[in-house]
Order: sequence, then C-alpha cells, then structure tokens
Amino acid sequence: MFSFLKNINFSTQQTVTSESLQPVLDKLKEHLTSKNVASEISVQLCDSLESSLVGRSYSTFTGLTSTAKQALSDALTKILSPKHRVNVLRDVMDAKSKGRPYVITFCGVNGVGKSTNLAKVCFWLLDNNYRVLVVGGDTFRAGAVEQLRTHVVRLANMYSEEQVQLYERGYGKDPAGLAFEAIKYAKERRYDVVLVDTAGRMQDNEPLMRALSKLVALNNPDLTLFVGEALVGNEAVDQLVKFNQSLIDNSSASAGTKSVIDGILLTKFDCIDDKVGAAISMTYITGQPIVFVGTGQQYPDLKSLNVKSVVSALLR
Amino acid sequence: KALHTLSNATVINEDVLSALLKEICGALLESDVNVQLVKRLRDNVKSVIDFEEMAGGLNKRVIIKRAVFTELCKLVDPGVKPWQPVKGRQNVIMFVGLQGAGKTTTCTKLAYHYQRRGWKVCLVCADTFRAGAFDQVKQNCVKARIPFYGSYTESDPVVIAQDGVEKFKAENFDIIIIDTSGRHKQEDSLFEEMLQLQNATEPDQIIFVMDASIGQACELQARAFKDTVDVGAVIVTKLDGHAKGGGALSAIAVTKSPIIFIGTGEHIDDLEPFKTRPFISKLLGMGDIEGLIDK
Ligand SMILES: Nc1nc2c(ncn2[C@@H]2O[C@H](COP(=O)(O)OP(=O)(O)OP(=O)(O)O)[C@@H](O)[C@H]2O)c(=O)[nH]1
Ligand SMILES: Nc1nc2c(ncn2[C@@H]2O[C@H](COP(=O)(O)OP(=O)(O)OP(=O)(O)O)[C@@H](O)[C@H]2O)c(=O)[nH]1
Ligand SMILES: [Mg+2]
Ligand SMILES: [Mg+2]
Repeated sequence: MFSFLKNINFSTQQTVTSESLQPVLDKLKEHLTSKNVASEISVQLCDSLESSLVGRSYSTFTGLTSTAKQALSDALTKILSPKHRVNVLRDVMDAKSKGRPYVITFCGVNGVGKSTNLAKVCFWLLDNNYRVLVVGGDTFRAGAVEQLRTHVVRLANMYSEEQVQLYERGYGKDPAGLAFEAIKYAKERRYDVVLVDTAGRMQDNEPLMRALSKLVALNNPDLTLFVGEALVGNEAVDQLVKFNQSLIDNSSASAGTKSVIDGILLTKFDCIDDKVGAAISMTYITGQPIVFVGTGQQYPDLKSLNVKSVVSALLR
Repeated sequence: KALHTLSNATVINEDVLSALLKEICGALLESDVNVQLVKRLRDNVKSVIDFEEMAGGLNKRVIIKRAVFTELCKLVDPGVKPWQPVKGRQNVIMFVGLQGAGKTTTCTKLAYHYQRRGWKVCLVCADTFRAGAFDQVKQNCVKARIPFYGSYTESDPVVIAQDGVEKFKAENFDIIIIDTSGRHKQEDSLFEEMLQLQNATEPDQIIFVMDASIGQACELQARAFKDTVDVGAVIVTKLDGHAKGGGALSAIAVTKSPIIFIGTGEHIDDLEPFKTRPFISKLLGMGDIEGLIDK
C-alpha cells in the first residue's frame, strides 16, 4: 500500500557537528578497542576522524553512523597500506648482484615467534632457490641453538645441505660479534641471505636493548624486522616505540641514516579470530609495513597482509 | 524511585563520578582489561556509590577510587582457596597455555620453588612438537639439578606424559610437573590432545599460563581452555616488563581460579607469589594504593 513511498527520496543533506558525532565516535572507539586495537590508538583514530568529518555534509539517507564508518574504513585501509613496499626477493637479488649477502635480523620481546618465523622465512627463500645461512644469535635461552639446528636439519633434508646451514657458537658468546663473523663467513661462501635470530627481551630492559642496538649498529642489516604477536594488546605501542628509540639512540655514527625497525613480522594471526587490531596498533605507531604475517606453526604458514579482510574484520 | 528533585549536590556528584569513572576505565582499558569487563565494572561501581555519603563532603575522588578498588578485588579473588600439594602423595601438576606464554620456563621455576622447600620434584617434557623443547627442559633441569623425563624420538605427547608420570610415581616423587606444548582454541586437534593428556595423567592441578601483555583475545582463549580441561590456577608471566596483565581478570573470571604466582624474569628464581594490591594498583596506573585503603 505504501509502495509509492519507495521512490520518494526522503534524504536531505545535513552537516556533521561534533555534538552529533560524539556518541557515534564513542561507540566506534569502544568497537575498535574490543577488536584489540590499542586503546590510545583507537582514541587517536577517532580524534582524527572527528576533525576530518565535522563540517562535512552527509545524506541522512546513508546516516551519520555509516558515513563515519566509511571514513574510518578509508583511514584504516590507508594505515595498513604501506607507503613503501618491502620487496625482499628484489632486494636479495640486488645484494647478490653486488656480491654480498642480504642480512635480515629478527628482534622482539620474549616468546612472540622470532625463531619459528625465521625458519618460515628461510623455507620461503629456499623455495626461491636462494642459499641461506641461519645465525644462532640467541646465545642465552635454554634450547635456543638446538631449536634452530632442528629447523635447519629439517630444511636441509627438504632442500640440500648445500643450500642451508646453521652458523652458531653455542651459548654465552656476544651475539653482535657472532653475527659479524657469520656475515663474513656467508660472504666468503657466497650465501645469498643471512638470517640472524636474537634472544627475546623486554623493551624496557636497558642492557639487553643496548646489546640489540649494538648488534644492529655493528652489522647494519639490510632488514631489521620487529616480530610482534597478533595476541598483544596495548603493549604493542610501548614495545615498538622503545625498540625503535633504542635502535635510533645507538645508531652507529658512521652509518648515514639512523637505523630503525624496517618492517614488522606479525605472528600468531591464527590465534585471534577477528580481534585483528594489533596490526593497526603496530603500523600506526611506526608507519612501517607489515612485511610478513605468521598464520600457524608450520613452514608454509607465512603470508602477506590482506588489508581488505583485516579492515572488514575490524569493522564487523 | 520516587521522583525527587535532584539536589544539585547529587547532580555535581554524578558529573564528578562519570568523569572519574571515564578516567579509571581508560586506565583499565590501557592495561588490557577486557572491554566488556570494564563496562560491567563501571555499572557495578555506579550502583554501589552512595551519593548521600558523597554529599557529606568526604573527598569524592577517594570514595570513588575505593569503590573501584573493592570491585576489582572481587574480580581478582574468585573466592577459591588455591590447591596445595599434599605431602605423602604423588601430586601431578600439568601446565597448559597459548604458544610462547612461558610454560616451559615457569615449569622449571615452580619445580625449583618446591624443591627448595624440601619437596621431591621432577619434570616431564610432554612437548614433542616444538623444535628444541626437550633440550630447553633438559638444559634448565640439569642446571637446577631437577630430575626430568622426555624423549627425542617419541612423537606422541600422551605416551611420554603417561610413561613419565608412571616412572616418577614408581620412584616416589612428591610432585610431578608436566610441560605441554603451546596450543590455541582455533586448532581443534591440539585441544583434543590436551584433553587426552588430562585423561592419561589425571593431574591434581592444571595451571593456565598466560602472558601479561595479551590483549582482548585472552578471554576467549581462557574460556576455551577451561571448557576443555579442568583449569584450577593461573600464572601470569612477563610482569617484569611494562605490561600490566589486565587480561588476567578475564582469565580468573572464566576459569574461576586464582592467580597463584607471577613470572618476573627469565631466570629460575623469577617467580613470586601473587599479591592482589600491587597488581590492581598497576592496573589502575596508580603508584601505591595503600593510602586509599584503611588498614
Ligand atoms: N599458532 C601460532 N603459533 C606460532 C606462530 N609463530 C610462532 N608460533 C609458536 O609460538 C611459540 C614461540 O615461538 P618461538 O619461535 O620459540 O618464539 P621466540 O620469539 O623465538 O621465543 P624466544 O626466543 O624465547 O623469545 C612456539 O610454540 C611457536 O610454534 C604462529 O604464527 N601461529
Ligand atoms: N621477561 C620474561 N620472560 C619470560 C618470563 N617467562 C618466560 N619468559 C620468556 O618467554 C619466552 C617463552 O618462554 P617459554 O617457556 O619457551 O614459553 P612456552 O609457553 O613454553 O612456549 P611454547 O612451548 O613454544 O608454547 C622465553 O624467552 C622465556 O625466557 C618472564 O616472567 N619474564
Ligand atoms: Mg627464539
Ligand atoms: Mg614450551
């Protein structure tokens, strides 16, 4: 009976005011936080949303909430789409053409998945026919060297002894010097990539953070990857800020640019269902790209970030 | 409620209350407390606040903070007396938790804790999955002179757990601690395996180990562990870092079991009994909360 109403357009244009926007933003803020975005970052995201929306007109047909949600979706997509792509394979080729190995260092706090995901990256490089030297740079935690050796033995069986080898000197040795020797060894034996594992450390453990920065400053790796787990909550911010700051503070004077975290390896993405917010927390705070995503405990469980699906999970 | 004119004192108090609650809830969220839990807490505090008492000129902030503190204490203390090992019996303790939470490290710490108090303690490494797991247990145990059992070749964790417990029971150990591999609720086979481990070893205590830095995913994971095995205690690790461990509130609520210890470092003696007050003060982002509480 009211079918004739269908084709009359009731929408009018309205201007967004901060009063009208406030309850919408509060709900979005809570929603983002419940999806495991660090609360400080949910706040900053919604503040920037407010400044971009207030004064704009929107059609009442689509409504204020969906207008705000669309703006947030665009903002989230922008944050997750890296300004500069890290193309590891291209960079490995480039280093190879210059006759030197491409060096990747894996750092981060305790238990996030550094060693396991180093092994996954190694598997991926072997699959692309590169020769890889794995460095036992965690000379502290019990079983760390045996953990890497087990991976290297397995990978050598899948590929060849020729293609992958473990460089380790047991426990106790200074990791920075060990990495230096390993890189020299790799250069002499024409390895294409050197993967340096490091011990887990708390971001506010001064001596350990200095030791890590020393290793980076001395060896100047091509790619310093921060390994963070998707399970982490607000600590993602504090971890990245302090890891980055420590690297900057201890950058070697000789190196042109300040060494910082070049990219993020986000692990345990298979443990969080739609609480994917850590991806936002980490990229927002550093402006660096998520280079790899760990999605399981087997070698092939290493993917790149699917921006669209992460954003839709966040807004669901 | 009868319609009564809101005395302006009550009106002011309500503004004070909501402003302060907003600030406190912000701190709790930043400490990784579950979002729904924070909302429930805010409502509980609102219902508990006695406006007449506030009107009496008592310092409003103290009243509100004290109300929040009491509510948090209720959450942290599930009213369950934690299980203790019994002398003259073989007490079996099994560790479970997400990958990398700190199970293996905490197993050794707990073994060392009981050994130093005169218990005959041993460790069974039932993690046959993660590379280097047995070496990690072996190196820790050799250093601390704790008897251990494991295998480089047996791939079935249930077989190792069973054989280990049998062996150590035969040798009359007081406490047998079982380390298991990390697992997460999304992988059914791993939870099925955990259930089999429980059935095979019939532990007297199952400890859920969680990382203090975990965010909003904690509640769902802790719930899944409790729905599968009889979790009886929680240990929060890595509290030596900047993390506040707010996820533990959900873990306690969901498992209905108390935090018994906290991990405060990577060394074998970095294990401390859990204390409610300092933990809650850290959650609230407050230094020393003593002043607020009359002794
Ligand atoms: N589910 C899941 N588990 C993972 C993933 N990546 C690593 N893990 C598991 O996380 C645990 C810790 O992994 P490690 O590689 O030892 O972590 P780490 O950062 O090297 O630890 P430390 O060296 O002790 O600081 C192991 O049980 C891994 O199997 C992942 O993407 N998904
Ligand atoms: N700083 C700090 N590090 C800790 C603490 N507890 C454990 N760790 C570290 O966290 C990392 C992981 O510890 P593990 O004991 O291997 O964790 P897990 O739960 O056995 O890991 P999986 O067996 O792979 O699931 C190691 O680097 C430990 O040294 C703690 O209380 N403080
Ligand atoms: Mg490691
Ligand atoms: Mg373990």
